[in-house]
Amino acid sequence: MTAEATRSRPTTPTAKSRWRGGRWIALLGLLVVLGGVVSVLLGPEQETPRPLDPADTSLQGSRALAELLRERGVTVDRVDSAEAAAALGGDRVLVVTDTLHAYSGDLDGIRGDRLIVGAPLGVEEMAGANPVGAARQRSREPECSLPAATAAGSAHLGGIAYSAPRGTTGCYPAGDGWTLISFPNGSGTTTVVGSGEFMSNQRLAEDGNAALALNLIGTGKPVTWLVRPEVRPSGDLAGPEGESVYDLMPPGIPWAVLMACLTVVLVAFWRGRRLGPVVAERLPVVVRASETVEGRGRLYRARRARGRAADSLRAGTIDRLTPRLGLASGAGPHEVVAALAVRTGLDPQQVGGALYGPPPTGDAELVALAGYLDSIERKVREL
Amino acid sequence: MTLTGRAGLLAALGIVVVLLAPSPGPAVAGVCLLLAAAIVADLTLAGAVRPLRLHRSGERLVRLGAQATVELVVENPGRRRVRGVLRDAWPPSAGAEPRVLKLDVPPGERRKLVVTLTPARRGDRESVSVTVRSLGPLGLAARQGSHSSPWSVRVLPPFLSRKHLPSRLARLRELDGRHPALVRGQGTEFDSLREYVVGDDVRSIDWRATARRHDVVVRTWRPERDRRVMIVLDTGRTSAGRVGEAPIPLAGAAVEGGGLLARPDPRPVPGWPRLDWSMDAALLLAALAARAGDQVDFLAYDRAERARVTGASRTELLSSLVNAMAPIEAELIEADSQGMVAAILARAKRRCLVVLLTDLNSAALDEGLMPVLPQLSSRHLVLVAGVSDPLVAAMAGQRSTAEQVYDAAAAERAQLERRRITARLRRHGVEVVDALPDDIAPALADAYLALKAAGRL
Repeated sequence: MTAEATRSRPTTPTAKSRWRGGRWIALLGLLVVLGGVVSVLLGPEQETPRPLDPADTSLQGSRALAELLRERGVTVDRVDSAEAAAALGGDRVLVVTDTLHAYSGDLDGIRGDRLIVGAPLGVEEMAGANPVGAARQRSREPECSLPAATAAGSAHLGGIAYSAPRGTTGCYPAGDGWTLISFPNGSGTTTVVGSGEFMSNQRLAEDGNAALALNLIGTGKPVTWLVRPEVRPSGDLAGPEGESVYDLMPPGIPWAVLMACLTVVLVAFWRGRRLGPVVAERLPVVVRASETVEGRGRLYRARRARGRAADSLRAGTIDRLTPRLGLASGAGPHEVVAALAVRTGLDPQQVGGALYGPPPTGDAELVALAGYLDSIERKVREL
Repeated sequence: MTLTGRAGLLAALGIVVVLLAPSPGPAVAGVCLLLAAAIVADLTLAGAVRPLRLHRSGERLVRLGAQATVELVVENPGRRRVRGVLRDAWPPSAGAEPRVLKLDVPPGERRKLVVTLTPARRGDRESVSVTVRSLGPLGLAARQGSHSSPWSVRVLPPFLSRKHLPSRLARLRELDGRHPALVRGQGTEFDSLREYVVGDDVRSIDWRATARRHDVVVRTWRPERDRRVMIVLDTGRTSAGRVGEAPIPLAGAAVEGGGLLARPDPRPVPGWPRLDWSMDAALLLAALAARAGDQVDFLAYDRAERARVTGASRTELLSSLVNAMAPIEAELIEADSQGMVAAILARAKRRCLVVLLTDLNSAALDEGLMPVLPQLSSRHLVLVAGVSDPLVAAMAGQRSTAEQVYDAAAAERAQLERRRITARLRRHGVEVVDALPDDIAPALADAYLALKAAGRL
């Protein structure tokens, strides 16, 4: 028991030394945050791309094609509903780039040529043509008599392949079907393509894509380009009285949510702050000394090493018996068996077989041998 | 700094206030400002942690299995009261209780806190740091800081085998001069002359003294004293294996149901390492040899010397031994027997009894000790003591199913190899003690007494 006083010293760094040590890291963090904010503020407004939209300049848009058409004096009108398309009237070319939001009934009243991208189910009577499967999008040869296609040559097509029954012209074959089919409708020609990627800004300059698109759309007539309508977030959907969900909320709710976030931050800080350091300790290894023996036993078991197992059991028994029988440690089999037979009255043949016989052939025999060796030992011990 | 649950509660109340307030935006700003002001005020008014002075006192030594108390005096030289909690961080195996202490020190005063250690492992345990969290008057926020207040407690081996000491000392006294022996043995020395009584061995009559005294006088003898005993502890990998049942559970042993990774293990929880059993036996032997008047030296060795005690006086021997043994852990490397023998030969110039505490593992001994043993046994009397594994004996006895028979065969083989290496050691003139963990200490003491009685030291 010693009662000496030892001086303590504070180990928590002071605010000053913490600032001195961490100021460069703090400065770097500040720079990163500033850079992020500035790049977001100055960067181009990120819009979700609208595929095949004549007003979209992204890779998937079709602004390039629309501009080409306008240069050729073709009027391009972008509409996002069938009603608006019907309202334009007259003899026009109708381009349908989105078949999900266009329904046959809405488009029935519009006359003239049509170009439909994708599966026009419900949009158009297909004159018996049906989609027969999917086709990889790649550059394909026309291999047909359609003037628009032969003039354009190879083009980037694929997506859906259609069957081409009588009265229908199929071009750009893919497997069993055609990726472009053309058939007359009541007031003009309907052309259906499996994919509109050849019209996109990205692909327009490749192959004969531009030529094919211009041949199909740019016939001189004004173009009605029907695109997917703008999808508004569901939360903004107006109710019966024209009120959104947010309009119905009490004004305090968003502020209360802000306050709740702050509360969570405070509680997290309270729970997350440790009282002092985590103390690690180097502990000694925990290993049973018998593990090597257990491992050897499992190896015997895994390989069904009955011969070796029997040898070990026999050697152990003989090693224990020889001093009890009054024999030297190097006694031979005959001496041991003879001495055992004399002392215990057991059959020398049987004892010899157990102690020096061939290895057991099955697990049951091994267990029986172990039991017999035990009984011999017990008899000798009881003498 | 840190916050308390109250700050969170206050912020949660703020949610209600914001919901009920007619203009929620300013209400949020108001609540936040109020909260921030309260927290800043609390932090400013809280007692400073940095200027605190800590003084320690208490126990430096404790036996494994016992408890030690360490006192921590917290002195507050500041102008504000320091109220809050304090944590004295010790390594887990030091078993420091309580984990967090309540603290309330008025300005200019000091308070004493008591930490109780219940170590679960031998060795030196050091306090890592003392952390104080000083709450403000509102209890919203607290200042927090750590101090280094070094204190180390050395956990000594428990010396459980001292219960065997009285009976062995009695045997020693029978050998010793207090019960003079009449039989002259090898290595005994002349003690005194006394009158003949009926029953004495006539061969011990001293005829010259009888002629002088006109009375029949016999010589008495006593065992030799001032012999040297060198206890060598093998701290190599074979000493790390755990055997038997731990009388005091050591840290690092698998705790039942503890931890996510703990899987149910049908096998028994590991006991003590061979090293700890050997230490126990070495302590009993040292205590006995010191009482018998022999000089005891100690050496712990694997590939280098780990600890050494030489020339300790008889009264100080046990304390210096437990001190030397306390920090020793089994190293997971193969022991260098050649180096060990060289170290023993360098230390022991005169003939002595070398007690080597190791494992009787035939593979390890064949590779290591057997080739260099003649160097040692030619100059010294060597005694090799090994702790056997009761689990292997139990495995050898279970033979009812095929799986058990395969295990029994493996155990038989291990035991057979052990007996063979024992026989080979004995052929080299080396004494061997091979005993179960609970019996190793008395068995070693008995072997020493037998050697002493036979005068072979």
